[in-house]
Amino acid sequence: MKKISALSLLTVAISAAAPAAQAGDLNINGFLSVGASMLDKNDAEIAGADNQGGFKQDTILGLQVSKQVNDSTSLTGQLVSRGSDNYSTEAAWAFVTYSANDELDLRMGRLRIPAFYYSDFLEVGYTYNSIRPAEEVYRIPFSSIDGVDLAQRFSSGDIDGTVQVYYGRYQGDFESNGTVYEADFRNVTGISVSANMGNFGSRLSYNQGELNLGSPAPTGTGLAVAQGSANGLAFLYGDSSAAEDFNISGQTSSFIEAALTYDDGTYSVLAEWTAFDHETSVLLDDQAWMVSAAMRMGEFTPHVRYSTQKDEFDSGVEGDIQKQFGLEADESSITLGLRYDYDSSTALKFEVQNHDEKTIGGADGDSVTLYSAAVDLVF
Amino acid sequence: MNLFKASCSAILISLAAGTAFAEISVIVSANNANSTMDQATVSKIFLGKAKSFPDGSQALPVDQDEGSAARETFNSTVLGKSASQLKSYWSRLIFTGKGTPPKPSGNDAAVKAIVANNPNIIGYIDSSAVDASVKVVHKF
Repeated sequence: MKKISALSLLTVAISAAAPAAQAGDLNINGFLSVGASMLDKNDAEIAGADNQGGFKQDTILGLQVSKQVNDSTSLTGQLVSRGSDNYSTEAAWAFVTYSANDELDLRMGRLRIPAFYYSDFLEVGYTYNSIRPAEEVYRIPFSSIDGVDLAQRFSSGDIDGTVQVYYGRYQGDFESNGTVYEADFRNVTGISVSANMGNFGSRLSYNQGELNLGSPAPTGTGLAVAQGSANGLAFLYGDSSAAEDFNISGQTSSFIEAALTYDDGTYSVLAEWTAFDHETSVLLDDQAWMVSAAMRMGEFTPHVRYSTQKDEFDSGVEGDIQKQFGLEADESSITLGLRYDYDSSTALKFEVQNHDEKTIGGADGDSVTLYSAAVDLVF
Repeated sequence: MNLFKASCSAILISLAAGTAFAEISVIVSANNANSTMDQATVSKIFLGKAKSFPDGSQALPVDQDEGSAARETFNSTVLGKSASQLKSYWSRLIFTGKGTPPKPSGNDAAVKAIVANNPNIIGYIDSSAVDASVKVVHKF
């Protein structure tokens, strides 16, 4: 008891004496999600689950340490260990923030690409209703870059928002159709703009990067085979120059996103639309979007979501060649879920997701049902 | 449901305070140059959207401890959010290094003492605890 009152006195003393930005404080925060999921049958792939069930895919532990070094500079590092990645630990974020003024922040280091509405808090399950973001839409196979970004906040009347621009490089794994490549994506850059007014919010982002997988892609892998057969097919179609459009290295891919949100405290809606445009014809352009709605009733929040993704062929000979690859997909999901807020930092979640692969790998697919439960907490 | 909860807490607060409605005062130090602030200004400061007072000096909000009646009333009336919604709001900022929530700094007496001693700090306490060491800038 004595110890506690001494401690509170000390806290009061420190707070009272605290210089402007509470410099010197070391903040430790974290998040933990433990999930279990099971598919009814193994005829389609979603969330890394199978019909034997498991606890691994949705289990994530994140630990963040941050320190305000002085009035304008802070350091933030976040280590994340993912069950879906065999619990190997990586630095998802590690950056220095320099606040030029109250509205302008410059960050340097390892940063999250602000491509999606959920990007900033992608792995902090507690901050959203579903167990995981919609896989059809959240399909960029890497989420962080090493680089710099600049965030300018603005506020005018009832509207407030942020404009963020970034530039960097991604070196690491890149997965495409089940094969993992060593990637070195350069000049990864973009802009995101978000604005809120009352219960409404909106967000736009444009992102692009230059693909480099080593030239050519390693023999025997899907992309190398596609590249190789593109050469032969282009000759067959009588347009040999079309083969060049199937080169990978040095080609630019771009990604755009638009989102609208509404939240009046009881009802909330999120709609998000995205599109990929690849300069190389080896990767298929696509569009994906989702709409979700939720209703907060005290501690209970039932929610529903529709999400879909569809690949698109290029026009002309390139498109004819792409059709021969048998890589295209057309899939969608309907998810029904319930979130229960156990206390102000713990949420329990239950979900049933029907995932329908209308087309997968260029052929007719199947439809499966995924059952998931998870507990998310922040500390 | 919300109305039911709100009525319940209102009743509980009334019982605890022994008055019809416990009035909450948003306070700054008596040495702070700002006079009154509207709800939107107070809300922006406590949500980290504004970092300075209307006169341009730096504003540092402090919360009461979790579970205090004043905090619950403040959250639902001024910020319009439940405890879970606020946790979610701050988690989105904390894990991107974009902001940290106001520090939980004790009860009415503790918050009043902190506010009185630092003209940059803004807090809220039950109106019955207000004295000359602090200045009320908003009441609800």
